[in-house]
Amino acid sequence: MPTDPDGTLDRVRGGVLRVGVSPAPPWTAPASDGSAPGPGGIEPDLVRAFAETLDAEVEWTSGGEQALVDGLERDELDLVVGGLTADSPWVDHATLTYPYAQATGPEGDKELHVMAVQVGENAFLVELERFLLDQDVRP
Amino acid sequence: MTKFGHTELPQEQEQALRRAIRLAWWTIGFLVTAVTLVYLVMGSSQAMKAAWAEDLLSFIPPVSFLVAVHLTRRPPSPRHPYGYHRAIGVGHLVAATALVTMGLFLVWDSTSGLLAAEHPPVGLMVVAGQPVWSGWLMIAVMAYTAVPPVLLGRAKMPLARALHDRVLHADADMNKADWMTALGGIVGVLGIGLGLWWADGVAALFISGSILRDGVGNLRVAVSALMDARAETVDGDEPHPVVGELDARLEALPWVARARSRVRDEGHVFHVESFVVPADGRPPTFDQLRAAREAGDALDWKVRDMVVVPVEELPEELLPGLDAEPAGHDAG
Repeated sequence: MPTDPDGTLDRVRGGVLRVGVSPAPPWTAPASDGSAPGPGGIEPDLVRAFAETLDAEVEWTSGGEQALVDGLERDELDLVVGGLTADSPWVDHATLTYPYAQATGPEGDKELHVMAVQVGENAFLVELERFLLDQDVRP
Repeated sequence: MTKFGHTELPQEQEQALRRAIRLAWWTIGFLVTAVTLVYLVMGSSQAMKAAWAEDLLSFIPPVSFLVAVHLTRRPPSPRHPYGYHRAIGVGHLVAATALVTMGLFLVWDSTSGLLAAEHPPVGLMVVAGQPVWSGWLMIAVMAYTAVPPVLLGRAKMPLARALHDRVLHADADMNKADWMTALGGIVGVLGIGLGLWWADGVAALFISGSILRDGVGNLRVAVSALMDARAETVDGDEPHPVVGELDARLEALPWVARARSRVRDEGHVFHVESFVVPADGRPPTFDQLRAAREAGDALDWKVRDMVVVPVEELPEELLPGLDAEPAGHDAG
């Protein structure tokens, strides 16, 4: 418990994790040059470590938040990172993880950082949340 | 001595009232804990949302019961010569309308969720430093909300009959059915856990259907009571036996040939207009009339504001259905 209605976790394990990245330094940074293995930043590093626990390859897609969330809804992506916070407006179109890090925003307010996954893929969601809560993430 | 308006309550009713008030406060206390806990764990589950709405609505009957009991204690005044008994009916109508509205909203909400194939997300929560799948928390909270209402409902039901209180009856009825809501919620969450995304919506639909059914049933009884329907038993299923007993009691008086009463339920108490035909065609004396009223009062504590009208023959236009009675009907 729980189980995914569409089997995301089973498919990703030993397979491919499709991740969308939208630029939001320092959380994410686009790949600096062609030689780097995908994008840099706190969240891509976390994603790579998470994929390793599942023995999965990461397939990166970069774009704006809107396009990436559309990708989640169309089942073209499994996970979206981009400095998203718990009060993100995408909550109707994607499921946000339990906040895994706390940071201070530009106006000195508290920001709870989350990642976004497909709605209702609860086994995958819980697997990711457990992984993130085990990390000690400090921006 | 506890009173409803100027009606002194017999000891049985007085005890029932005190117990009912205590139970109403217990219900409110329980609901505060239930609403808080369900809110904390409900997340995005439709079924949990419906269960939460039902818990929130469950505040209305005990609160309207307490308000109504408070109001009906006031004695009649020049502005309110019939007293404040109707407060019960008003409270009942408000409670029923809230149930119907919320039931309709939730049926629509869960149906549209099912049609849009919305998959409910249920992730982790951190409780006391431990990550737990929120589904388990939801199930635990639902299990907690299943038991107390059933016990409260069972305790309230006999009191509602003793006090002839429809709000209390509606409340007890809802409480008694509350375990089904909790079970529905648990089934929905277990369904989500097993990857059956539609289980949550179906459970929510089941819960909203039960809210709507409660609402429609209560609305029917509340409206008919406010429409001055004949006095009926507290569940609104059949005519109240006191009406027949009253006519029989009056007809047993030596000077009365026939008697028929119009009885309306003011909420707790009945207001009675009795038409009596004297046996020898002569008007009764004041003593005889007073004795007739006292006979009615002695019959049941609910019989109040009894008016005895001597008539030459029973007025059909005021007593509908009179000519449909079989000959020799003795009203018993």
